[in-house]
Amino acid sequence: MSERDGASAVWTDERAQARQRRAREEGRRRVAEERSEPSSTVSVSSPGASHSLTASVRGVLRRAVRVFADEPDIAGELRAQLDRLDEPLRVAIAGKVKAGKSTLLNGLVGELIAPTDAGECTKVVTWYRDAPSPRVVSYPDLGEPRPLPIRRENGALAVELRGVPAEKLRKLVVDWPSQNLRGTTLIDTPGIASASAHNSRRTLAMLTPDDDSPAEADAVIYLMRHLHAADAEFLESFRDQGVARASSVNTIAVISRADEVGGGRIDAMLSARRIARRYRTEPALRGLCQTVIPVAGLLAATGRTLRQAEFQTLAALAAAPREDMDDILLSTQRFLRSDRVAALADVSYERRKDLLERFGIFGLRLAMMYVRQGRDSSPSLAAELVRASGLHELQDVLSVQFSQRRDLLKARSGLIALERVLAARSPAADESEVKQLAAEVERIGSGAHEFVELRLLSSLRSGEVVLPEEEAETAERLLGGQGVAAVQRLALSRTASDDEVRSAALHELDRWRRRAEDPFADRPAVRTYRAVTRTCEGLVASLSTPAPSEV
Amino acid sequence: MRSEPLAALEQAIGAIAPYGRTDLEERLRQAGFRLRDGRIRVLVVGEFKQGKSLLVNGLVRAPVCPVFDDVATCVPTVVRYAEQPTAALIRVLEPADDGDPERAKIERVELEIEQMSQHIAETGNPGNREGWREAEIGLPRAVLAGGLEIVDTPGVGGLNSVHGAATMAALPSADAVLFVSDASQEYTAPELEFLRQASKVCPNVLCVLSKADLYPEWERIADLDRAHLAAEKIDADLLIVSSALRVHAIRTGDDVSDAESGFPVLVSYLREQVVGRADLLARRSTAQDIVAVTEQLATALLAERTSYTDPEQAELVIRELTEAKAHAAALKERSARWQHTLSDGVADLNADIDYDLRDRMRDIVREAEGEVDKAGDPKKIWEQLAGWVEQEVGAAVSANFLWAAQRARWLAGQVAEHFSGGRELLPRIRTGHDDPLAGIQAMEMRSGEPFGVGQKALSGLRGGYIGVLMFGMLGTIVGLSLINPFSVGAGLLMGAKGFTDERRRVYSKRQAEAKAAVRRYADDVIFQAGKESRELLRRVQRDLRDYYIDRAEETNRSLKDSLMAAEQSARASQDEQQRRLKEIPKELARLESLHKKAMSLVPGAVTEPREPRLIEAAQ
Repeated sequence: MSERDGASAVWTDERAQARQRRAREEGRRRVAEERSEPSSTVSVSSPGASHSLTASVRGVLRRAVRVFADEPDIAGELRAQLDRLDEPLRVAIAGKVKAGKSTLLNGLVGELIAPTDAGECTKVVTWYRDAPSPRVVSYPDLGEPRPLPIRRENGALAVELRGVPAEKLRKLVVDWPSQNLRGTTLIDTPGIASASAHNSRRTLAMLTPDDDSPAEADAVIYLMRHLHAADAEFLESFRDQGVARASSVNTIAVISRADEVGGGRIDAMLSARRIARRYRTEPALRGLCQTVIPVAGLLAATGRTLRQAEFQTLAALAAAPREDMDDILLSTQRFLRSDRVAALADVSYERRKDLLERFGIFGLRLAMMYVRQGRDSSPSLAAELVRASGLHELQDVLSVQFSQRRDLLKARSGLIALERVLAARSPAADESEVKQLAAEVERIGSGAHEFVELRLLSSLRSGEVVLPEEEAETAERLLGGQGVAAVQRLALSRTASDDEVRSAALHELDRWRRRAEDPFADRPAVRTYRAVTRTCEGLVASLSTPAPSEV
Repeated sequence: MRSEPLAALEQAIGAIAPYGRTDLEERLRQAGFRLRDGRIRVLVVGEFKQGKSLLVNGLVRAPVCPVFDDVATCVPTVVRYAEQPTAALIRVLEPADDGDPERAKIERVELEIEQMSQHIAETGNPGNREGWREAEIGLPRAVLAGGLEIVDTPGVGGLNSVHGAATMAALPSADAVLFVSDASQEYTAPELEFLRQASKVCPNVLCVLSKADLYPEWERIADLDRAHLAAEKIDADLLIVSSALRVHAIRTGDDVSDAESGFPVLVSYLREQVVGRADLLARRSTAQDIVAVTEQLATALLAERTSYTDPEQAELVIRELTEAKAHAAALKERSARWQHTLSDGVADLNADIDYDLRDRMRDIVREAEGEVDKAGDPKKIWEQLAGWVEQEVGAAVSANFLWAAQRARWLAGQVAEHFSGGRELLPRIRTGHDDPLAGIQAMEMRSGEPFGVGQKALSGLRGGYIGVLMFGMLGTIVGLSLINPFSVGAGLLMGAKGFTDERRRVYSKRQAEAKAAVRRYADDVIFQAGKESRELLRRVQRDLRDYYIDRAEETNRSLKDSLMAAEQSARASQDEQQRRLKEIPKELARLESLHKKAMSLVPGAVTEPREPRLIEAAQ
């Protein structure tokens, strides 16, 4: 496997699988064509470039470990940062209470591993990471980590805290053998704005740490049902300071529970897309996150874990006359309690209850519509449900925004952590050494073109740097706002040939170089033009010298 | 519904006409006005997207409030009874002198109900740009016939939570609050906070769990919510409704769905607990008015009778009456204890409220200035900062006003206690007010001098020019030409210095401007909101003072009449005495029947005829 494939991480592996499955099932390549990967041609942050950045961050961290050798705490923390460079990207899923964080996590992983419930459920920050064998370990505030027993309940993972109250736990780590967690560790968090202030505090502490501890997540998926003032405030506080000073680049906002928009009407997803589009243009939000996408988490999770038995139940229900069924599906209460159901289909109360829990009323309406339209097997229905849920769009965005940039995001986390340590001014360390380290951090932070790109992207989005409208869009794209692959930066089709890419890149290079020489442009704009020019140069250069093919 | 107390009042006014007591007649007539005008305002509040507008539509069985998937309502919409469907938008042109929102000069624009939605929804009128105070919709619906007004409010908690301040401002004038939260999740911290505040200022809070059709676990959520309410000691019922089922039921005329929707229960709750309670209050105060009037008249008759039948006893009665009159006269004086309580209380309140407001504003200003100092060029963060400041100020002002309304009510209770030992019902005091921030201009930074390419070039050039000239001239002394490498180098250096100095100057000037803008805004708010709250308190003071002085005046006059009757009767002729002795029992009987009738207005009240308690009341 090439280095780059590894870098495109969980979402890609995962998507590739889904694609294969679908292709097998339908016996056609139609979908595969449509959903094909961004072509694996050149990217500016080609393996080599990211590597050199990772290597220099690693170098400076190693040196810092030596400098702080006398302080075991700091040295340990720095060593942890070093290890982190080799670990999968850490993506936290955050949001207000009941935004559907655990449900979406299940949808992304494709298994029911995060427990979900109607009440406030996730009370401990929980890490889900890939491992050869399943294991759960709890980390209390005080004392040693303790392994916990694992049980599977009705297909879902059940964790017992063994008498330790949730408030006393720093985190839970769930090891779970899963293809989908290989490139990314997912972190489930308790909701903010919870009625129990304690839970919210945990999340805030993890995502927006104060001076003494580094942020534990490299990137954040922020879930919201509607844009509340509390959401904006939170996103704002997550905008961290430090090396990269890039804020929006590692955050994606998701309108979760999109199926419930407008009371679960059958066109709920369309409506949710419209709302997402409005949010994307909302200036207050633009500076805070990359993009906004609607996802029906429950539908995604259920679609990806659909069981044959459930399909059969659905088929039995869908066989009943449509008017009667619609009438019963008017409310959950009716579907569960009405005696009319028994007359229409032989489905016991318990089965209906399970079904409702898994699908939600919107999911049921939608699934029955699909069955009536002729999805006659559980895999085809599952594919249809996942497609409707908007999960694919989310996976695409995650792949473009996070996975392709994973080395960069991790290096950034490492540098931020080191910067914090240096700023704390430990008395034990040699003053001049610390100064040199700080200079080194500064050099990497301001020198690495990847960071420059990130920073500019974020200041373009937040309106700190203002370019003429028609330029801003192109500049953002060239800087990698919609993906770092060359074709994405140049807005070419995925199958564009090298020659096409080169001529487009040269054209852009020429244009931006001229803009950079404009004597009337103000400083920040010139800085942006120069950076874009440099990006274009990188694009051209990467084409002239074929990327090293390490296999 | 109000016909019974009204009839009793009419009868009482007729019955007391022969006594020529215009002051008592006026009191009864005022009570009549209040009864006829009695509106019962129910606010429907909650965070946005909880289904408030749909709930209102369900209650009145008509799609009067626009419903959208995205944020919708931005103007409060009042739905009340009317013979014919009507719709109007209301805008304040000029506030009243004493700040009473009910007496403000308003503009009323009538229009078709269908056109309404584009003015009260966010899509047609974003952020209520058109500046409407409220929309009014009249509908011929039985549920509204008892004087019920249902107000659909904009959702709280959105990005621009100016809505929050307006909703908070409306709370104290509401008779009941329906707090809507959907069944997708239990109460969040901000929701509980809102409920806590609402339950402090509004006597009747009802929680409504909406969208029960969509969420299978609504029973669990309802239990969790009840537990939260109990933990917060908020005394509120929780009803569960499903607007989707109600809409379906209305469309298909299906009674089963209607029953399932939970709306019939909600409607009967409104009828019994809200309208019923308001009705009871109205009856009680009517009964009190009539009873007070009849007792005052009866005192005179009884005194007169005593002096005819038992001259020795008459001495005693006269002495008692004299004492009571002195006491009543004292109540009228400025030195009366209740007057002190009132004036001191209002003065204290004014000071406290003002201090509270200033304190809150000072904190906000201080924090904002800190932010300005941190930012290099404040122009870049201005938009964000302004939004933050406006939001914080909105929250601070509404909290301040709620506190004022709450304390004012407490003060009214104190005054009543000192006036009559708490026997009188509290008068209605007007604690309603307009949104205090409505008239305040948005925070704006005066643009100051621009610092564009031209200015930058000029400042660099100026520095450079001086540098070249200075060092060039020095050079000429030693025989170099004016333009030489040294002078050019010095020119470049000084040019750069000139430029950075200029930039520093411009930035620090901008910072000063930004801080001044924040302070200006805070001053505006303190001025406006302070004025509003002073007016509110003044209104409360005036209401209370007028009310109790009237009462004292009445009592005084009644006692004077009684005293006169007793004294005159001693000098009356034998025939006259006989005639009066025959008449008095008849008059007393008439008064007593009025009294009985009044008491029967209040269900469960004691209808036993009592001895007039005027004398004890005066003490």
